[in-house]
Amino acid sequence: MIRTNRQKLALTSALLAVAALTASSLPAQAASDPGVTATSIKLGITVPMTGIASPGYNKIPGAMKAYFDYVNDNGGVNGRKITLVIKDDQYIPTTAVAKANELILKDKVFALVGTLGTASTKAISASTQLAKRGIPSLFVNTGFSGFADAKAYPTTFSILPSYQMEAKIMGKFLKEKYADKKLALIYQDDDFGRDALAGFKQAGITFGTYIPYASGSQSLPATGAGWISKLKASGAEVTVLFGVSSASTAALANAYAAQYKTQWVLGSVGGDATTIAATNKAYVPLLYGAKGFSFAPAPTDATDEYIKLFQSIYATAQPTQTFDNNVVAGMSNAFLAVQALKAAGSDLTRAGLIKTIETKGASFANPFLTPLGYSATAHVGATGYWIGTYDPTGALKPDGGKYTVYTTDSGNGPVVESSYKRPAMPAKGLPN
Amino acid sequence: MKISFKKSRVLITVASAALVATAVIGIPSVAQAADPQCATANYITQCAGAGTDGAPYMMIAAANFNGTVFIWSHGIRPAINIPATLAPVGPYTVTNAAEPGPLAASGDLSVVNALVAAGYGVAGSGFARQSLNVKEALAANVELIATFKKKFPTTKKVIAWGASLGAIHSQKLAETNPDLVDGLVLACPAANPSDGLVNYFGDALYGFKAFFDPSIKVGGYSTDPVVRQTEQLANIGKVLTVLGKLSAGLSSGAWPDTASPAGKALEAAGIPSRSALLAVGLMAGIPTRSKHVDGTSGPTGAAETYPLAVAPAVAILENMGTVGVAGSLLIADGELLTGGKVFDNSKTDYAARVASDRDIYSFALSGNSAVDAIIGALAATPREVADPAAVAKIPSFVGLKGSVTKPTVMIVGESDEYAPASGAQWLIDSYGPQFEAAKESAIAAAKSSRSYQAPVNKLITLWQKTAPKYSKFTAAGSPDLTSEIGAGTGHCYYSSAQYIAAAKLAAGAVSTGKFPLQGPITSAARKVGLSYDKKFRVPTYKSLS
Repeated sequence: MIRTNRQKLALTSALLAVAALTASSLPAQAASDPGVTATSIKLGITVPMTGIASPGYNKIPGAMKAYFDYVNDNGGVNGRKITLVIKDDQYIPTTAVAKANELILKDKVFALVGTLGTASTKAISASTQLAKRGIPSLFVNTGFSGFADAKAYPTTFSILPSYQMEAKIMGKFLKEKYADKKLALIYQDDDFGRDALAGFKQAGITFGTYIPYASGSQSLPATGAGWISKLKASGAEVTVLFGVSSASTAALANAYAAQYKTQWVLGSVGGDATTIAATNKAYVPLLYGAKGFSFAPAPTDATDEYIKLFQSIYATAQPTQTFDNNVVAGMSNAFLAVQALKAAGSDLTRAGLIKTIETKGASFANPFLTPLGYSATAHVGATGYWIGTYDPTGALKPDGGKYTVYTTDSGNGPVVESSYKRPAMPAKGLPN
Repeated sequence: MKISFKKSRVLITVASAALVATAVIGIPSVAQAADPQCATANYITQCAGAGTDGAPYMMIAAANFNGTVFIWSHGIRPAINIPATLAPVGPYTVTNAAEPGPLAASGDLSVVNALVAAGYGVAGSGFARQSLNVKEALAANVELIATFKKKFPTTKKVIAWGASLGAIHSQKLAETNPDLVDGLVLACPAANPSDGLVNYFGDALYGFKAFFDPSIKVGGYSTDPVVRQTEQLANIGKVLTVLGKLSAGLSSGAWPDTASPAGKALEAAGIPSRSALLAVGLMAGIPTRSKHVDGTSGPTGAAETYPLAVAPAVAILENMGTVGVAGSLLIADGELLTGGKVFDNSKTDYAARVASDRDIYSFALSGNSAVDAIIGALAATPREVADPAAVAKIPSFVGLKGSVTKPTVMIVGESDEYAPASGAQWLIDSYGPQFEAAKESAIAAAKSSRSYQAPVNKLITLWQKTAPKYSKFTAAGSPDLTSEIGAGTGHCYYSSAQYIAAAKLAAGAVSTGKFPLQGPITSAARKVGLSYDKKFRVPTYKSLS
């Protein structure tokens, strides 16, 4: 009996030893995930800080850092201070890949955050194999609907509503407002525009004129002039521009030069006054009267508690900079990142963070005026838009003086007026 | 005694280093006898001989031979003569000269010298047949190892090493004769599960045929050796001609006058030839960075638009020279060896191949509409249909299993256009489950032995990464092709220090039974401009994705 027990004991010990060895050979996530220590979290962002796409976008990292510093000054996230490593990709996808590799391999960041642009985000995802390596790419600044597909991009999370949602909401607006007008569409001829075309199709909108352009070609002088010639020839009364702000600049400036008048309807990423002013301040008033779309509170809306807080933080951190859409985008992005990191708990791992956003992300506190759509199958952020009109200073003001938000999905779902009521901001604007 | 012993070792080493440098240059004439002809001078024995198949070989070891020999397998050499009229590919005359180590073919004996001076033996065959010679190389290497051991009976360890196709030879040797090999160094490995490389070359040539010259052959070469050779040379000439015309039309977008009707229709639709060229590269998976094009730089005045609009196509243009020539040589040779057509794209979804790239290179591709038109235009060119019996034979000629059973060091250029890094990634990915299985076995064994022996890692990869920026431009705004080649680009552009570092890591692992910890490997790699990062990945072959 004693012998048997001894044998059992020995066997059990051996098995325990094996189990222990086995366990120790498994990745110890908390210890092995780069970029996290007991006192710090390192995040990385690659954005155009220089080059043609930089005006406006180059304010995003500074805005993010301002909010992270604010959080750090208030104790950090679960005791950890956040540092943000910033890289300049010039809006060139191959450069974005190189910079993302630097962030991952050299700076050893815990996660990427706020990557900007569909092409750069795709290039980074494909070339650095984020999914296979389990590296989170938080709250990418692109509305390409594909990034919300958790199966295709399991570690990537969008923050913007998809372009497809935007086109559906825009389509409803066009039908209601300009049903009897001649419509034209200028669109970026990549997945950005492809999303838009899909959304317009779902909304039942057909344009009389379609003008595609390759991303980047808007910087060539002949491009904008060519658009206006085509618009003139078509007699378009309402022109939708589904492109970036540098494309809007080319369109507005060339239309002005050619004395061509149309009702401009600009997609949400195409109406940034800062970007337009960077080309020529005199172009900003050309935005006046154009229709625009947004999902965040207007940067001029000092009645909004988030905007109020962000303005205060930014004024301290960047006293010489103007508070605009890009700052709101950057600070909102940082806020959501902090909220996600906070919710992931003290035992912070990459896998744990991803799981947290999938399971709790839809109820995260955030500044947006639309619900968040995060789930295990959908990595979509905001899910709707409000519609407004640009004033002479280039500021987008909600039509009717209040935010009327419409929500939808990237599929066949209807566009509906949202009854969503944003939860109150956490005390001091610090996620809990 | 101790001091004098050390002194004598140092003297021998120094003497060896000096003497190999001079002795190797004077290679003895190849012997046709079964036994090698050897000469010993100044502590170094150098032998030359020929195997039973007539393949010449060379063996070198010094008096301080430490019992470990490096068996070198050289990379691919064409099996046909190439005339000077096909410059810069020709002139080339088929040779089966023995090659004792890396860089030796170009007269650089620094690696051989360093290894011999350090006490290692070196040996290498020239192989009886060139081009796809896996079978011949396997036989020659097996015989060479026996010959070396016979001549140098203190031989204890054999490290097989090779570059490009030679890496296939080395890996094949380890997979088929594990008892003969103790370690491996695979440089710029053309690692290939079976048809990854066939598709790589075939897809590129098919794209060229479809758009730029319908007379370009993708496969279906004549079985008559003379006719086949003529066809191969003609194909190389056509590829080079098209490349020249594409180069001339880079800025204007003009198409070659040899363009297919489908290509001409694309031209009429305003799609520049560079967009179709880039699309072909993306279809095949050719790197979008090349020796002189980093893809992120632009000339003065176009620093931002050039990388977006032009650079990816220019990189494909530079890389396609290698791909098109190699494809013309290898597919024809593959057909000769297997007895039928080996490339098959009858079911290839080229739209899917470019799906993840079309946004990334949107400007250079001229937008989604242009990509759709380019891919749509492929419909006008019939697909290639392979002979199933021939395809079934491919693995025996170029295929590997991907099993890693011996300490293996890989050196890989991130943007290698000839043997894409995807091949190395395939081997890395193949090894992952093998290591996991070894762990499971160790755990199972521990249950009975009550002692857990953790498996050792057998594969390390030293990456020659492509730097973010290295392009230089001429005053006219073109890439300066006389400037220094970017690291991690081109095929097997490794320094002697890099080869030596890899060899010593392998030798160390063979001697101790395991690789050192990450720190020493990282440090050794960094010293020679390589990078060791277990988490670094490159995309796998497009045809296998």
